[in-house]
Amino acid sequence: MRPIGFSTGALARGDLQRGVMLQRGVAKIDAIELSALRDHELPPLLDAIGALDLSTFSYVSVHAPSQIQTLDEATIGELLLRTPATWPVIAHPELLRTESLWRRLGPRLCIENMDNRKTVGRTLDELQLVFDIYPEATFCLDLGHARQIDPTLSMALTMIRTFGGRLRQVHISDVGPSGEHRPIGATARSSFSHVARHLPIDCPVIIESMIDPESIERELGVVIAMLTTPPRVAIA
Amino acid sequence: MTSAIDALETGLGTRWSAIRAAQQKTRDVLGALSSALADLHDPDCSIVVTGSLGRGEATEGSDADWVLLIDGPSDPDHALLVREIGTRILDIVPKSVGPTRTFGDIVASHELVHYIAGTRDSNENLTRRILLLSESRALTNPLVRERVIRNVLARYVIHDRPVRRTAVAHFLLNDVVRYWRTVTSDYASKMWERQRSGWAIRNVKLRFSRRVLFIWGLLASFAADLFGAAELHAIENDDQYYRMLAELIRTQTDVAPLELLARVVLDAGDHDVAHAIFSSYDRFLAVLADPDARSNLETVRFDDALDHPAYADLRDASQTFRRGITKLFFEVHPKLPALIRDFGVF
Repeated sequence: MRPIGFSTGALARGDLQRGVMLQRGVAKIDAIELSALRDHELPPLLDAIGALDLSTFSYVSVHAPSQIQTLDEATIGELLLRTPATWPVIAHPELLRTESLWRRLGPRLCIENMDNRKTVGRTLDELQLVFDIYPEATFCLDLGHARQIDPTLSMALTMIRTFGGRLRQVHISDVGPSGEHRPIGATARSSFSHVARHLPIDCPVIIESMIDPESIERELGVVIAMLTTPPRVAIA
Repeated sequence: MTSAIDALETGLGTRWSAIRAAQQKTRDVLGALSSALADLHDPDCSIVVTGSLGRGEATEGSDADWVLLIDGPSDPDHALLVREIGTRILDIVPKSVGPTRTFGDIVASHELVHYIAGTRDSNENLTRRILLLSESRALTNPLVRERVIRNVLARYVIHDRPVRRTAVAHFLLNDVVRYWRTVTSDYASKMWERQRSGWAIRNVKLRFSRRVLFIWGLLASFAADLFGAAELHAIENDDQYYRMLAELIRTQTDVAPLELLARVVLDAGDHDVAHAIFSSYDRFLAVLADPDARSNLETVRFDDALDHPAYADLRDASQTFRRGITKLFFEVHPKLPALIRDFGVF
């Protein structure tokens, strides 16, 4: 069965412990992504790891900062290296400026495709350039980002075909015009269902929809149904 | 990377200097326009050119047919952006766009994607849609152009599929044919409305550059058979097949019509056909690039046309061009004759 769960940042922005607590013990949640999207969240995340009860999760990843603001790149790299060796490190390509620093993560470095606000890592060709630099890196397919670039998701399918051997994790959410992660709407659900069948059955899915805690069960249900229900041939 | 036009020139031992000059002119103008507009980048907008700049055939007399393509929330400031774009483009290409407002304006993706055929489609929407596919280039934010094109192709290919899988994109093919017939009918309409003013240049363009758009559309509709790799044909799942077919057609939207034509001419391997098509097209571009010849053409009176050397010369060249195209599509290409016979008419 595919591990599935939420990003802590989607459920409790800036509050790692609460993001974990909200998911622990929820039926069907057995994956989690620990979010340090803002770089000042990374040192507290390191400090908290030892005390976090992650026993109910079969899959854990950590999301690297998306921007460098309060720390330098080298410090961020060092801190991420200190996270448990089994955790993939999800990273936006634009963060990766010093090759030698990030190559040390080997296959733990899990590169995510980007939305249209960015200038790198958005398309197949742009991602290939990044993987050429980091040949050991794995791949986090962000379906929301891919759909923002190509609503037909043909490009996402091509990414799966091209980078399937690297695929380590999937991000899923609707993505608004300003890149904000939103609950999955009807049209996104329809689009994503066409791709779901092409995802490896054991590939973890992390939900990034920014939702209230009361909506966890509903959003989880939407994603599970989408991943398990065959798509309609065409939208009626 | 060697283009198909390069390969044809090498094979024939010739050089189509007007085509080359137009390609270089296009690169220069697009470069200047892109630089001038770079700071107007917006994540939901793309400034897109069509016409000769989109086809890679710009000459001294070319205008810049541009639109602000918007694929996102509406914003009153888009109107201000359009004015700024128009001013900056006129600084570089000092020839105003036509009077119809088909260009030089906001174009929202909604109508392009949702009003394909049916009662809400319009002549203008059809024109913008087909030109976006066949001869457009983004001056800013190319991903928005690509996204809209993908959505249009999704309508043509993914959401309109036959009961049994077929390699031909029928909906696209029918719309391309409709567009070509619309263009030719509109030529007659403009002859009537404008009392034959400027008719000769429109007539010549109809014989060459407009026809090349039609050819692009035919080739794109047959892309699976003409350009599809074995990987595409091996896909068993229909849903995935049509998405990949749409993407294959999408990649043709980045190929200039003349270059796409050259690719199938290369496949045909017939030097006479290659010479007939490209030498006559080269003649057409040479006349457009010559300010005196072009203005001479703009003054031809309809009743004197056959005695007018400039017009008669291009009319002869256009007939050579047409004979080459006909021979390519109906005789010498390994696949096109069967495709045209089976799908091109009935």
